Amino acid sequence: MLEPSTIQQRGFRNVTENGSVIGFQVAVRSKYYRGVWLSQLRPATVTVDGEAFGGDQISWTVGGQTVRQSELGRHGDIHWGNMDAAVLTVHKPGGLVPGIHDVDITFQYSASYLPPRIDLRPLGSEPRRMVLVR
Amino acid sequence: MGITRKEFIKASSLIAAGAAMASVHAAGSPSRTPPPQQPGINRGVSLYSYAGEIGVTMTLDDCFADMYDMGAGGLEILANAHIENYPNPPSAWLDNWYSLLERYAIVPVEYGHWVDSRLYPGRELDTNESYEMLVRDIKLASKLGFTVMRTKLGVTDEILTPVANWQAFIERALPVAEKYNVRMCPELHQPTALKSAMVDEYVGFIERTGTKHFGLNIDFGVFQLEEGRLRIPGMDNPRSEPEDMIPLLPYTYACHAKFTYMNDDLIDPTHPYERILALLREHRWQGYLLSEYEGEGKDIIGHSSDQLRRQHVMMKRYLGEV
Repeated sequence: MLEPSTIQQRGFRNVTENGSVIGFQVAVRSKYYRGVWLSQLRPATVTVDGEAFGGDQISWTVGGQTVRQSELGRHGDIHWGNMDAAVLTVHKPGGLVPGIHDVDITFQYSASYLPPRIDLRPLGSEPRRMVLVR
Repeated sequence: MGITRKEFIKASSLIAAGAAMASVHAAGSPSRTPPPQQPGINRGVSLYSYAGEIGVTMTLDDCFADMYDMGAGGLEILANAHIENYPNPPSAWLDNWYSLLERYAIVPVEYGHWVDSRLYPGRELDTNESYEMLVRDIKLASKLGFTVMRTKLGVTDEILTPVANWQAFIERALPVAEKYNVRMCPELHQPTALKSAMVDEYVGFIERTGTKHFGLNIDFGVFQLEEGRLRIPGMDNPRSEPEDMIPLLPYTYACHAKFTYMNDDLIDPTHPYERILALLREHRWQGYLLSEYEGEGKDIIGHSSDQLRRQHVMMKRYLGEV
């Protein structure tokens, strides 16, 4: 089961690669009532304690497949179900300091069944104070 | 008595031409046999109603148990919301799916899916791509036992005119729909009026092709009174009358029993259910009313269930079940 908020505390931790901390990860769920293909998403912005990350500083991992944000638009073949969390990995050498962090995540999705004027719908924008341990 | 999956799917498919299976829920534990085929108007639920809780405070199994309490004999799923690892559900999920249908005696009625014309940024899907997306869902819907599909098309303007090539890919998919025994049904939803050029175009397509595999899903929100209707700046959102359904009923394979608020008198003040259901009974329409709760508070634990239960008491009264 997922946590009610968009930003999930489970999954919030630093990421280590080859012995060094290359950044951190945070999981999100979609409050949209249906799943989307990654190509229907628009790149996310992750903000931690006022510092914003975007573009290819972030990659999305869904169902075991990881995609850089600049590649999202090509992936009409990877589906993000709304009963699954997606993990955003944020490149930040050294990662985050263990402790309390204010995190926010915003992104958009495309809805073909709505008028083109309102094709892109916002998700996220629900700041959450979370604790990172490692 | 158990039956095999194959037999169950075969039995389910018989609801095709509007003949429908009803719920026959004896008191006590859920039945192990599927519901018998029975003509008439049947109550069901769209899992969309649980959107605020499913995956967070309710599992798929919880939704089935809740529907069983209501005597709901059929359901709608949204394929890309409710099928694990859509469009490739694992076998364990499929086993559980068939088991739930049997245990709670619920018929898989309608499979909600989309032909997402704006799948890729900056362009529309071509006819071939749209066809491929459609066929993938036809096969999966059939595999799960569904006989009606709520086929949501991409739109091009404020009044929800479907993409220009819709007839091309739908017509090409008709033989596939026939082979897999499903009916593709766009949903007639406000701000679209039942008396409109768009609905005329759908009916014209059905009459031109003579198909039994493309039809309509009427969303009762089209009858919503002024105080609850969608407001779109600079746009009309004309209210339809229940009588406007009459010429469409032969092509209507499912209805969305849209509601937004059930009060303590067990009515929805902005949807004229008594007139809608009286008309369907008078014209001997057969099929499922799939509840779609679209009111406030969907993320409040238990609220959607409470609203659905109220609506089902109302529908039972108007259908003469009590």
